[in-house]
Amino acid sequence: MHTHMKYLAVATLFLSASSALCAADLTKAYDMPDASKMIENDLFPAAKEYTMPKSCNLDDAKAIARGEYIFHNLNGKKAKKPAPEGLVKFIETKDKDGKVKKKAKQYGNCVACHNIEGAKGAGNIGPSLEGYKANFIDTKARDAQFVYQKIADPRVDNPKTHMTVNLTTGLFNEQEICDLTAYVVSDKKKK
Amino acid sequence: MKKTLLSLAFLSTMAMLQLNAGEQFAMSDADRAMYKEMLENNPADIYVEEGGELFEKLGDEEALAKFLGVAEKELPKYIAGFPRYVKKLGNVVGLDQVLQAMQVEQGKEKTKLKSGKMFSMLAYVKSLANDEVLNIDVNADEHIKAAYALGEKTFMTARGGRGLSCNSCHSADIVGQVLRTQPLPDLGEVAVAGTWPAYRMTKSSLRSPQRRFQGCMKNALLKVIPIGSKEMVALEVYISKLAADKKKKMAIPGLKR
Ligand code: HEC
Ligand code: HEC
Repeated sequence: MHTHMKYLAVATLFLSASSALCAADLTKAYDMPDASKMIENDLFPAAKEYTMPKSCNLDDAKAIARGEYIFHNLNGKKAKKPAPEGLVKFIETKDKDGKVKKKAKQYGNCVACHNIEGAKGAGNIGPSLEGYKANFIDTKARDAQFVYQKIADPRVDNPKTHMTVNLTTGLFNEQEICDLTAYVVSDKKKK
Repeated sequence: MKKTLLSLAFLSTMAMLQLNAGEQFAMSDADRAMYKEMLENNPADIYVEEGGELFEKLGDEEALAKFLGVAEKELPKYIAGFPRYVKKLGNVVGLDQVLQAMQVEQGKEKTKLKSGKMFSMLAYVKSLANDEVLNIDVNADEHIKAAYALGEKTFMTARGGRGLSCNSCHSADIVGQVLRTQPLPDLGEVAVAGTWPAYRMTKSSLRSPQRRFQGCMKNALLKVIPIGSKEMVALEVYISKLAADKKKKMAIPGLKR
């Protein structure tokens, strides 16, 4: 038993010494940072149904103006015109050391995928929302609740959607989804 | 010759954009003139040259072939099959990680994966395989199989502030549709693995494939994950397969918008 152990010890010693001589262990010689936790923290909840809050005032001109602004802009840094009343361009966040940092507020950039009245450089991944009121609301093909749900979480009626999720991810709040809804269903003059 | 072909292909794409899309695309005549001029002299060539000089210090092709355990004349073909499982590194790795391991083995300081120097070296080493058909074999062993599966999962995972995945914008069913002013590319057809590192004109710099993935993550508000992570290498495996399936050839350095 005792000699057995001794042999083993000698053998291990020999092995480790020889591997150090011949080839260094290279399994840690290069960088492979961990990303799995970053991805995990970046996930968001499953598809969720929402009811448009009673507080949504679809005729409020200020809400429509905010919705328009969110629709056509990517973020507060890129947006050129001044933000409408009730909307900010930058938000202040505190980092770990308590330092206050100014961060550009994210907007919808809906125009990246949807054409609509006055759109510049609109994409075509989503359907055109031009003439939405006349085509979809007045004809009762859609209602504001449908639009609200679609913007808040489009996965509810299309699990494989290419559209962004806007409320369940926490990027926007209910009021901002109301603003967008108000804008989409509003009567827009062709610009 | 190769360069002329590449340039021709690029020019015709530009011309197509101009013809089909008219004003929809955000490119001014001044930009177009600049691109045309760049084609005659891909700015990436300087970086590739720099990469070659750095690589020489590691002992050139001979040393790389020896490190990877392949015959020198097999090296180009072997390079066109990365990322691979490299037994002595214990993981599926990119060529940039192989270069780091060579540096460490030779007692040299390791170049950061996200540095311009590494992008240059990577471009040089990948350019040794130019004209080879991309040949990644995602069934070669259990490790690469797992990496491919992780790559697919990473590609499909919706996350971030807008709840998007790579697949939201790069699935087969929306290729060619327009996001803002950009047509969505087919990542296999444009042969990402065979054309990056590329000189990115909108960024005025040479960028590696994984650096390009980070660009999309940042734009689409997906948390940007680090170069060299298992998930990044896996994404490269997944996207390399798309081009290998189409028998695309290596043409490094690329020149991109
Ligand atoms: C990345 C692409 C993309 C972005 C960004 C996007 N959408 Fe969509 N949108 C779509 C697609 C695709 C559809 C088609 C239906 C579906 O897949 O859910 C759609 C459908 C819609 C509809 C339903 C139209 C109808 O009546 O059928 C509305 C309303 C809408 N989007 C509003 C918005 C708003 C507001 C924003 C910005 C906050 C936005 N979209 C951002 C792709 C997008
Ligand atoms: C919101 C849409 C969107 C998302 C999400 C997205 N991309 Fe992209 N991607 C684009 C567009 C648009 C382009 C073309 C841009 C250009 O031509 O400059 C592009 C280009 C690319 C290219 C360059 C192709 C070439 O020309 O060689 C790569 C590689 C790429 N994307 C990978 C990814 C990966 C990996 C992810 C996920 C982590 C991702 N993309 C997520 C929209 C997106």
